[in-house]
Amino acid sequence: MSVFSDIFFGGLFQGSLYAMMAVGLALVWTTIGVFNFSHGVFMMLGAYFAWQLVAFGLPVVIAFPLAVIVMAGAGWILQASVVRPLIGRPNIVLVVVITTLAAGSLIENGALTVWGPRSKQLPSLIEGNTTIAGVGVSLHQIAIIVITPLILAALWSFLNRTRLGLALRAVAQNEDASHLVGLNVTALYGLAFAIAASLAGLAGIFMGGYRFMNPSMGADPLLKALIVVVFGGISSISGPIFAAYLIGFFEAASNYYFGLYWTPALLFLVLIATLMVRPEGIFASRSRGLA
Amino acid sequence: MTLLNVAIPAAPGRVTWNREAIGFVAGFLLLALLPLVFGDSYSRHVLIMIFIYAVVASNWDLSLGYGGVFNFGHLALFGIGVYTYSLLAKLAGVDPWIALVAGGVIATLAAVLVTIPILRLKGIYIILVTFGFAQLVMQVIVSQSDLTGGTQGLVRVPGLYIFDHNMIRDGKIAYFYIALALLVLSTLFLRLFVRSRAGASIVALRDNEEYAISRGVSLVRQRMVTLAASAFFTGIAGAFYAAYQRNASIDVFGMSLATIILSMVLLGGTATIYGAIVASFVLTVFSEAMADFGAWRLMISALLIIVIMLVYPSGLVGMIRAAWTAVADRIKRPA
Repeated sequence: MSVFSDIFFGGLFQGSLYAMMAVGLALVWTTIGVFNFSHGVFMMLGAYFAWQLVAFGLPVVIAFPLAVIVMAGAGWILQASVVRPLIGRPNIVLVVVITTLAAGSLIENGALTVWGPRSKQLPSLIEGNTTIAGVGVSLHQIAIIVITPLILAALWSFLNRTRLGLALRAVAQNEDASHLVGLNVTALYGLAFAIAASLAGLAGIFMGGYRFMNPSMGADPLLKALIVVVFGGISSISGPIFAAYLIGFFEAASNYYFGLYWTPALLFLVLIATLMVRPEGIFASRSRGLA
Repeated sequence: MTLLNVAIPAAPGRVTWNREAIGFVAGFLLLALLPLVFGDSYSRHVLIMIFIYAVVASNWDLSLGYGGVFNFGHLALFGIGVYTYSLLAKLAGVDPWIALVAGGVIATLAAVLVTIPILRLKGIYIILVTFGFAQLVMQVIVSQSDLTGGTQGLVRVPGLYIFDHNMIRDGKIAYFYIALALLVLSTLFLRLFVRSRAGASIVALRDNEEYAISRGVSLVRQRMVTLAASAFFTGIAGAFYAAYQRNASIDVFGMSLATIILSMVLLGGTATIYGAIVASFVLTVFSEAMADFGAWRLMISALLIIVIMLVYPSGLVGMIRAAWTAVADRIKRPA
């Protein structure tokens, strides 16, 4: 029983983090049609901003939301500087990969210069530990498991219930028509990037609370988020969320039964098998759009 | 391979065989004379690194620029060359020259293997799968630390040899010419390939897939041929890199090397082969010139890449062409 709840809990926890990361990637892909390779660096940057604000003496309750808001600004700036000028170019997908990779390298080395290579840690959301179903867990992890679905639900209702969210979905579905009905497409591109960057920053803050942070901490979560979006289908928001939890459970089970070293290889096999059977992802509908 | 032998007829705007051959020989003769100018071993080391990068970048240009296949696992093929050579030459005691060729062969096989899942995929999905493939190769190497040394890497990898010639105390002259020979062979192969019918068919697939297929071009076969062709010299370059550095480390799988090589391809201008080689010179020399800047070097390089991509999307070749046209116009019609 303990083994099962161990895997269940670990999967839930990892899945939450992957979902936060993957949703941002999918949001940017559906609206702008580009892939943001500096997404992992955003995660790192959010954690470091939060750390810096806490180091300034701000209480966690103010510092963490403030860092998330600052990340929205950072996402907007990145979009305006290295993505927006390229829109309309024939090879935009490839060129944006290189510009976001370069921007990621710039930010990562900038963080290294500013904050140094020494590992840092953020305060937990909630201090303390508890035991549930025979598994010892920290309250910080429980908080993440509870908060993540709430945030994702909020994002979902924003995209489905508000005018702004609907506008974002309209751009994702048909850019030309959005122009025709008078939507400010450029601003909506910025918004998509801002939301994605905030979510990545929040994931970074969550991660910094239980693991040491360093400037290259975003690389592995980015890779996992890539696997998640391919697995779940990149053309929606709900697909990657389900996929994130599935991958989380799979990883937890595989870590337990096959060991830490073979898990990435197995994940990759699952990915290839998925792509050969359903290249559009297992939860994807055939059309491109947010929902 | 019969497709390779039939030359395509001359087309407007296409440099003829003769003119390209003259340029090719002249260009590489110039490179061969460089050791006369650069006598110190540091300059020669930089030149050797340029040649290695040029091989990797120009081969990437084959799959990326000509084939339009966004293969982000290209550096993994290089890494496979590094580790194939190191493991064979160090642990299995295989002759270094045979291990060098084996690096290319194994990389080619790996490329065929990674092509299978991407045969049905397009665009961004190919990026994701090949990116994942590169990470997988790295994870496997790290996990087999008994053999590969894991994150520590392998040291004291045997170098190459030429009879009794002392490869270490010759001012790097032998390695220089081996690297140059590698670049010459690789470039010759790539140019022959892209000028052949097979080359034309992969460009056709890139530009209009449906039409190319309807004219009888096999997507599956050509994609496999493209990736396998781009892998062979990449793997040999990796093996040579290991022989020259005399060690193997997982740094070759890192994002920073991939970013630098990719910017060489894009900076040079895709689908030119020569552009990637020129860009390898420019970027490596630029990067070495800033060696004193430490962490700032990577940041300045990244900034430079972004600026060039924003201002000159067609790369250095596009920049040179634009400048050339401007000059030519001035000469033709004096104001």
